[in-house]
Amino acid sequence: MIPRALLRTVLLAVAATAVVFAATEILPGDMGDVRGAGRASAEDVARERERLGLDVPAPVRYLRWLGHLVRGELGRSLASGRPVADLLAERLPATAALVVGTLTVTVALTALALAVGFLRGGRGGALAPGLAAVPQAVYAAVLGAVLSGVLGWLPAVSLLAPGSSPWAQPRALVLPALTLALPSAAFATVLLRGALTDVLRLPHVADARTRGLPARLILRRHVAPFLLVPSVRVLALMTGWLTAGTALVETVYGYPGTGGLLVSSVAVRDVPVVQAAALIPAVIVLVGMLVADLLDTAGRHRPGRSRRMAPVATAGGAA
Amino acid sequence: MRNSSLSRRGPRTAFLAFASAASLLLAGCGSDAGPGTPDDASARPVDGGTLRYVVAGSPATASDDPHGGLGNESDVMRFALTYDVLTVPGPNGEPRPRLAVSWKPNKTLDRWTFRLRENAEFTDGRPVRAKDVLYSLTRIAKKAAENYGRLADFDLESSTAPDDHTVVLATRAPMAEAPKALESISFVVPDGSTDFSRPVPGSGPYRVVGTGAQTAVLTRNKGWWGTRPHLDRIEIRAVADPQARASAVTSGQADVAGSVSPAAVKSAKSSSSVRIVTRQGVTEYPFIMRLDTKPFDNPKVREAFRLAADRKALVDTVFLGYGRIANDLPTPYDPSYPKDLKQRTRDVARAKRLLKEAGHAHGLKLTLHTTTSYPGMDTAATLYAEQLADIGVDAEVKVEPADTYWTRIYAKKDFYTGYYGGISFADLVRVGLLSDSPTNETAWRSRTFDTGFTRAMGTLDARARNAALARIQKELWRNGGYVVWGTGDGLDLAAPGVHGLPDGPGFQRMFIDRAWKAK
Repeated sequence: MIPRALLRTVLLAVAATAVVFAATEILPGDMGDVRGAGRASAEDVARERERLGLDVPAPVRYLRWLGHLVRGELGRSLASGRPVADLLAERLPATAALVVGTLTVTVALTALALAVGFLRGGRGGALAPGLAAVPQAVYAAVLGAVLSGVLGWLPAVSLLAPGSSPWAQPRALVLPALTLALPSAAFATVLLRGALTDVLRLPHVADARTRGLPARLILRRHVAPFLLVPSVRVLALMTGWLTAGTALVETVYGYPGTGGLLVSSVAVRDVPVVQAAALIPAVIVLVGMLVADLLDTAGRHRPGRSRRMAPVATAGGAA
Repeated sequence: MRNSSLSRRGPRTAFLAFASAASLLLAGCGSDAGPGTPDDASARPVDGGTLRYVVAGSPATASDDPHGGLGNESDVMRFALTYDVLTVPGPNGEPRPRLAVSWKPNKTLDRWTFRLRENAEFTDGRPVRAKDVLYSLTRIAKKAAENYGRLADFDLESSTAPDDHTVVLATRAPMAEAPKALESISFVVPDGSTDFSRPVPGSGPYRVVGTGAQTAVLTRNKGWWGTRPHLDRIEIRAVADPQARASAVTSGQADVAGSVSPAAVKSAKSSSSVRIVTRQGVTEYPFIMRLDTKPFDNPKVREAFRLAADRKALVDTVFLGYGRIANDLPTPYDPSYPKDLKQRTRDVARAKRLLKEAGHAHGLKLTLHTTTSYPGMDTAATLYAEQLADIGVDAEVKVEPADTYWTRIYAKKDFYTGYYGGISFADLVRVGLLSDSPTNETAWRSRTFDTGFTRAMGTLDARARNAALARIQKELWRNGGYVVWGTGDGLDLAAPGVHGLPDGPGFQRMFIDRAWKAK
């Protein structure tokens, strides 16, 4: 069971890289065009393309890239010639700090929202979809204007002091993390609310209610365990999405993470950088899903619990 | 050529690669103090301290190669502080010595002998010799595809280094402006340097002590030959978003912000004591008409299109007033600009009459391409289309994706919005206005223009040369394919205590080695 799931994860990761590669191929123009910018002669652009190895057919380039990846090599940036691993290593700590900060707030807010949902018996809940629909840029503008502009509590931009760890400047993390966490939490709440409603409909929960058990106990013992697997799935999704989706926040707050690198590398068709930067969130999502599957399987195979886990796993799967 | 002096956001970074060194030779720029604290020139410089400078830069195009595309301002600033260049722009538009102490052409102006200073030394202790200079220039020439043939007019294979401190540079044709063409971009690295995936030693006023994802930290190079810089340390921070750069200064997290938006300047003006540094004539979004395609093959149509432009309205809307109107010549800041030219103004009646004479009495329908690479390019096209409607022209504005604009639209379509960032007139002619120019975007082919330019480039005397260049610009003004309605200012913000920032033309602003900070 485990080896098969693992194999599936690896195959999906490879498929993800193929999709990303194909997508960058479909985009018009390549690094040769970008370099020439309409000013260089056709011969110069052709020579540049040859130097960068872009004259080789796309499938061959992809397989070569995959071959290097298997050996643990991410290649070099077409734009700067620097090792892709170095480019990512420079920015991953900042992204990691931002993602961890964001997830902490997201988990707390989502738990709070679900607890409120539980206390209201699963009714209501129009707020979360509404908040999830607000664009990130609006959160950035409003939070920045209020917390930094009007109240002056936080720095307007999140520049990191040279040589210092992103963890050393927690104040710089607050605005970007909040900007990402508010819509993430709303989104996670929307995703998990269905699972919660399903659990509340289960016979044993109704049974616990009729027995007059305190709400806190019902939540802890009879509801929360069923939400574990879907929560892990949503968490995996969120983590992957956040790792790839920080570009806007990085731009607005001048924060040096991997999101800006990914987006700007797409714009200049720096395929090796795009591939590597996109691989990281893909792997995070897939590994997270694998963990959720394993938890699910473990739950089902534990004596006496299989019947109770089944409907929840389906609800989570939809997420 | 396009320059990087404007802001760009993440997705717009394709354009970083465009920034050309020629574009950095911005002439005719000045610095004027904003309403805040003026830069007190009489104040006594203070030694020491750290300057934090936020400057445009995108993660995807950050590079340690000073001979490539120079797409990131943050890289160019680091190069300007850590490498020596042969010449820099002088206050009067003429080149000033830097690593080269003097230069002299032969009679035919196609061999230039440069004397190098003898006390320059790389940070690894090796002396800077003529062969390092020749190696660096040759490398720039070889990277033509990356840097738009920045040194294409030099014949480096025929250039020599007769001794350690002399280089003789050959040019392909007489080239009176050879020392000017080397201004600011001739970064000298040690002979034989091949690995540019990390910084190679330089011989400039500062040295790199640390680089990270966003910041380069430089400290004073004690072995530099020039006047000792005041600042101990300079932190260059690459921030892509112009608003984030402005916020960094207004909130006290940085001392200087390069290239901020007019809107940011407007809000900074009302809110704090920051100083606004204005560099004139940095940005322009001309409308390009191709002379070899209908309807622009008719000079009457071109004239009508120029008369339709309400230049003041465009400057006020696109640059929020931070700029000035222009007169259909792309380089009004160049020393060769004809001073005695009549300003074209809006004349709807005459424009309509000309269109009628050209056979378009019932109007004209066409597409005006534009993009969002630089802030306001789309606004400019939209407003101009409205102005064209007044003369009976139905121009549909098509906003193209920024990623591919410069490869698919630029120099290919017959009517589109262009971008220039302070290119010199001579460079503009070489890349786009000679019959055989590589990207002749207006399809301008004129024998009198070509011979006039060749003759000017064979004239050593600057005044006579500029007069000759002024003559051919008048021909372009009468008959060319440009609607140049205005130029926008380059705008920087500086904290009150910062002084000695360069106020010279263009690329000069990257050479901040005379800056100091009040305690």
